[in-house]
Amino acid sequence: MFSFLKLRNTTPSILGVVFMLLPASHYAANIEAGKAKAQVCVSCHGPAGNSIIPEYPSLSGQPAQAISTALFRFREGNRKNPIMSPFAADLSNADMNNLAAYFASEKRTTAHVTSPQNLNLGPELASKYNCTQCHGPNLQGLQHIPRVAGQQHQYLITQLRGFKAQTRSDIDGNMSSAAANLTDNDIVILSDYIAGLAEKPAP
Amino acid sequence: MKRKIISTLIMALAIPAFAQQKPDEPPPRWLQGRSEADAKSTLHPFNPKLTGADISELKMSKLKLPPGFSIDVWAEVPNARSLVRGAKGTIFVSNLAANDVYAIVEKDGKREVKKILKGQTAPNGIAFMDGTLYVAERTQIKKYENIEDRLDNPPEGILVVDGLDPTNGPGHFWKYLAVGPDKKLYFNIGSPQNITIPNYVQATIMRVDPKNGRLERYAEGVRNTVGMDFHPVTKKLWFTEHGRDWLGDDKPSDELNVVSKQGENFGYPFCHQGDIPDPQYGKYASCDQFTPPALNLGAHVAPLGMHFYTGKQFPGEYKNSLFIARHGSWNRNTKQGYDVMRVTLDGKGKVAKYEPFLTGFLENETGDPPMWGRPVDLLVMPDGSMLVSDDYNGIIYRVSYKKPLMTASK
Repeated sequence: MFSFLKLRNTTPSILGVVFMLLPASHYAANIEAGKAKAQVCVSCHGPAGNSIIPEYPSLSGQPAQAISTALFRFREGNRKNPIMSPFAADLSNADMNNLAAYFASEKRTTAHVTSPQNLNLGPELASKYNCTQCHGPNLQGLQHIPRVAGQQHQYLITQLRGFKAQTRSDIDGNMSSAAANLTDNDIVILSDYIAGLAEKPAP
Repeated sequence: MKRKIISTLIMALAIPAFAQQKPDEPPPRWLQGRSEADAKSTLHPFNPKLTGADISELKMSKLKLPPGFSIDVWAEVPNARSLVRGAKGTIFVSNLAANDVYAIVEKDGKREVKKILKGQTAPNGIAFMDGTLYVAERTQIKKYENIEDRLDNPPEGILVVDGLDPTNGPGHFWKYLAVGPDKKLYFNIGSPQNITIPNYVQATIMRVDPKNGRLERYAEGVRNTVGMDFHPVTKKLWFTEHGRDWLGDDKPSDELNVVSKQGENFGYPFCHQGDIPDPQYGKYASCDQFTPPALNLGAHVAPLGMHFYTGKQFPGEYKNSLFIARHGSWNRNTKQGYDVMRVTLDGKGKVAKYEPFLTGFLENETGDPPMWGRPVDLLVMPDGSMLVSDDYNGIIYRVSYKKPLMTASK
């Protein structure tokens, strides 16, 4: 839990020099380093972070801050999962930033096909429950808020049920509040609809 | 009665899904009080980068200061919030969204960042007095005695006071902590909601005597303050206060207040910025019942840490100037804040001037996010430089002054 910074006297003219003298590890989140570290992740989260296992979320194309925030919360114990928590336990903040940069840089693929019925019902529910208000236009995620469009169907169902039951960890109460009034039928419809959403809205 | 119980039981059995349902979670604090007209608003608070930004991502060249001042990166501490200095020179740094308290020590020309407390609950408030570090968490204040000699093996915290989150609500549960000239600890208990009638200890500034644990209300009608300091000369308590949300882009203003005597009421939830009666609660009181702000700081600018400048490095006119870190707005379509302001007081202690000091964190006032950094707290160092924490990036900056060289005459 130690980190070192070079002690420097402040002189305005050499402000830029401060950064040049810092160790290389302080440079921008490193996609290649993240990719190397991600070897263990992809065995569950799928090649390039595109999950092919229903219960595991896809990480590709997520906002970087959403991934680093989730990892941080697993490590700190704010969010608990018997599988994820041990993996996060040994990651440094820099590891998390690198992993986040890597998965954010990967292109996502969507295999899920929404039933025609839910293709009609989904948008209305998504609007009614204000999903895009936080998850962004077309639910592609925004800052620390994850992309849910094209996410694994079963994973979405599990999370929404967890939020509704107030058993799923929640950063600020937003999702527990948003899910409080969902019926289980709403959850099934919404998840089926959201899981099939493409990267860009249909023209 | 019996029949009612039985029928309720039957209903419960018939609809098991209903019976098992927990009571609905209240809306998140920041959404509470939003009118139907704003139901589709996309305004939302911003979350910090909990793992910290890389230094190379910081847009230092965008930062602006008055002539002669400069800024550099002083340390990296994830989610850096409140700053205090120990008697032996240790800088303590708190967290809000994360759970830790850090100590920074300088040794052999190197600056070392140590995590000294882990697993705290919103340990935003920290204060240092007589060798002891005080940490205000969500529900309690604990003390860590002789801490600077035990940074590598910190003692267990000793309880000073608890029960500080009386409703365990979703609201402003984090604390700011300041040491008074009377050696008592001053801290806020925020409103449990955006706008609501608070209970007896909520929306207050409290003080506790750490010697005997005696707890008092010091000021009331304070929605939430996350920045306090005592004037170096008058010894009066000055504090920043966040106004309510969802009354529009330009109102109400956040406030700078000064407490002249114990028990003063600053108006929440009845009156905002000294002259706007609350649409819902304003009818129960009149604005002239309350102490008006010393200065209105701007709508939604989110003033946090504020400190009087008591150092010697900055030019003479900065002596006892008040610096205010503004975390920046979210509940406003065109964003403002994200800077450090300077307030100059006149000989009578009235506000004479309010002007920008450190700007450039705000990049795009309609962007999402609009900023690349967010000032939180300030600390004047013994050499007269000033530290500024940024919880969004997990960075502590240092602002220094050097008298500009005379330009050669033509």
